[in-house]
Amino acid sequence: MTALPLTRSVPLARRQLLARRGRTIAGAIGIAVALLLVLTLKAIFAGMEERLTVFIDATGADVIVAQEGVTTMHMTQSALPKERLAAVAGVSGVASVDGIVYKAAFVETGADGKSGVVALVGGGPVPNLVAGDRPGPGEVVLDRALADKIGVQPGDAVRILGSPLRLSGEVTGTAAITGSYAFVTRNTIERMLGTTGVVSYVLVYAEPGIGANELATRISSEISGVTASTRASFAASERRVVGDMTTDIVRGMIFVGFVIGVAVAGLVAYSQTLAQLRDYGVLRALGLGAHRALALGVAQVAALVIAGFVVALGLAGLLAAVLPKLSPTLVLSIRTEDVAQAALVAGAVALAAALVPVIRVVRVQPASVFRRTS
Amino acid sequence: MKQSAVPIARRQLLSEPAKLVVALAAVAAAVTLVLLLSGLRRGMGEQVTVYLDHQPPVLVGTAGARGFVAQTSILPEQTAVQVARVPGVADAAPISEGFAMLGLHGRRVLTLLVGYDRGRRGGPWRLAEGRRPNAPNELVLDSVVAEDHGLGVGSTLRFRGADLRIVGLSSGTSGFMTPPAFTTRETANTLNELPNTATFLLVTPERGVAPAALASGIESAVPGVSARLRGELAANDRDLFVGSFSGPLLAMVLIASSVAVLVIAITVYSSTRDRSREYATLKAIGLGHRALLRLVAVQASALALVGTALGVVLAAAAARGVGELAPKYLIVLSGADIGRMGLAALFFALVAGLVPARYLANLDPATAFRR
Repeated sequence: MTALPLTRSVPLARRQLLARRGRTIAGAIGIAVALLLVLTLKAIFAGMEERLTVFIDATGADVIVAQEGVTTMHMTQSALPKERLAAVAGVSGVASVDGIVYKAAFVETGADGKSGVVALVGGGPVPNLVAGDRPGPGEVVLDRALADKIGVQPGDAVRILGSPLRLSGEVTGTAAITGSYAFVTRNTIERMLGTTGVVSYVLVYAEPGIGANELATRISSEISGVTASTRASFAASERRVVGDMTTDIVRGMIFVGFVIGVAVAGLVAYSQTLAQLRDYGVLRALGLGAHRALALGVAQVAALVIAGFVVALGLAGLLAAVLPKLSPTLVLSIRTEDVAQAALVAGAVALAAALVPVIRVVRVQPASVFRRTS
Repeated sequence: MKQSAVPIARRQLLSEPAKLVVALAAVAAAVTLVLLLSGLRRGMGEQVTVYLDHQPPVLVGTAGARGFVAQTSILPEQTAVQVARVPGVADAAPISEGFAMLGLHGRRVLTLLVGYDRGRRGGPWRLAEGRRPNAPNELVLDSVVAEDHGLGVGSTLRFRGADLRIVGLSSGTSGFMTPPAFTTRETANTLNELPNTATFLLVTPERGVAPAALASGIESAVPGVSARLRGELAANDRDLFVGSFSGPLLAMVLIASSVAVLVIAITVYSSTRDRSREYATLKAIGLGHRALLRLVAVQASALALVGTALGVVLAAAAARGVGELAPKYLIVLSGADIGRMGLAALFFALVAGLVPARYLANLDPATAFRR
């Protein structure tokens, strides 16, 4: 008996999947949700990373100088005596310097005690100012998301580190789930802290024609007790804070997402196969070889996983668009490498989930089609 | 014939063991994920206050201080003397603490560096090895952090331009985010370029003095300070740190929960469709529509509850495994979380059971007699 070219002329996998649409759709959604778990988590952390460097990016500084060994700002302490600020200014190739004081603090309103945590920056640029003015003495600029949260607007009074300050303006785009930025003058922050003569970081601007790398190397070699980084490398280091602290959690989530994906895909594929055993028997009786039958089973699982992956990608995109509108602090950033990783997970899910049903398919005897089922 | 005489639900579930195992695995995986995430969130809250939990009941910081770990606070040296003179204060021990982002093997490890005065409150409460810091640039590091990075007593750590020599390893201080490390206050102040200062005062009340009353008394007597109860600061720190991760964790929990619902729904739906002939037979021999729905609901509930139980066991095993393999992560499984998850799974199962209700309602008993 000559085998019929069934798999080429008849789209069997598609027809079998579409024969039980409800189950196929539910399966694809299940896989999508599992993959969404992986994609969303990565996107949330990627969003956190991007927000971490908003201020650093906005400084426009060519080089950032910190205490020796310090290459980050968030959750970091750095202290440089002002003599070092003067020394940095004296390095050949430096056009100007700007010392900033960087401290974590709570912003409080007076009457109802509403509060929020901020990275308080004294001195330096004020990025993304959308309302009011830059801070003057005794004034502060807050992120609009925080100002809305604690119910204040320009002209209102707030307290930071026990000091009363007037809100002079608002910025946007600095709020993250870990907090937002607040800006004051350096004199104001020194008065609030009761300390003078120490800055946290020095923003260095190069003379025309001087490369950032060259200047950073020059500062590090000429001045002891400091680490000079280009703005790009400092920002990269800052972003790695999130990655370093969440690597294990992300790995755990990817593993769990994989397990759930395999379980859901396996469950759907297995149910589909069981329901189609008689169909497979007919196909085998018509001459479909074991390999073709196997390929058919795998193709169905693969189609299910691909559909799930596409749905997951769409849902992640939707979340990335909608969530920031609902909560300005929650930013999702979908990166190509994360999508590629989710695709790899999806591929592994498809392979693992296809194992059980294909074994059943291979075992199907052509003669079974002629037997009574019940 | 009584319905209870034939365990139809059980027999149908057990008729395809492989399918049952996969369905249970999927529900259990989703439940495990939910419990582990909730446990991680709870554990983070406990870890972030591990230092505070071992300190006296009142802490004094700069005016406006609301938290401990993420709060900038600078007090002049003489504040400790002023606070010590307030009636009811047995001791006011100054400490200088702050985040310390250590660079170990190319990775950032966030710790809380606490500088304290020799012989006073604020230092490590349990040592696994070595001794407490006595001299400048001596350090006691958490034993888990030390082990993770191949450090031990005698090792030297370069930090903010200083060579810190590890003289002891503390135990009971591990944490995912801010495991405390200890040094002398002089060292901490030198690193911060803030000599003769402290960040907080650890205030021990005299016997019989209520902490809350003492805190009020200190704020009245000493200008420019905030006296807070330890529990208040701990709660604010927990809110701050755990709150930061609440959004992502909640999103993950919701996704995991929807997977659980979906798995139950898929299983119940597909098994109902696959057994349509059996249900038609049952209808033909007199089983009513309500009884059929009950049958499906029982199967869904059994799947959800057994899956949940399995998930709890897996989560407990995973929490124990994490405790052994990666002790910096604390996963605290609570009865409340497990109870909530069980109830949610049951609810989801009953909702999922309604999916094939319409199909069952329209099922013609005559189909049982068709070839």
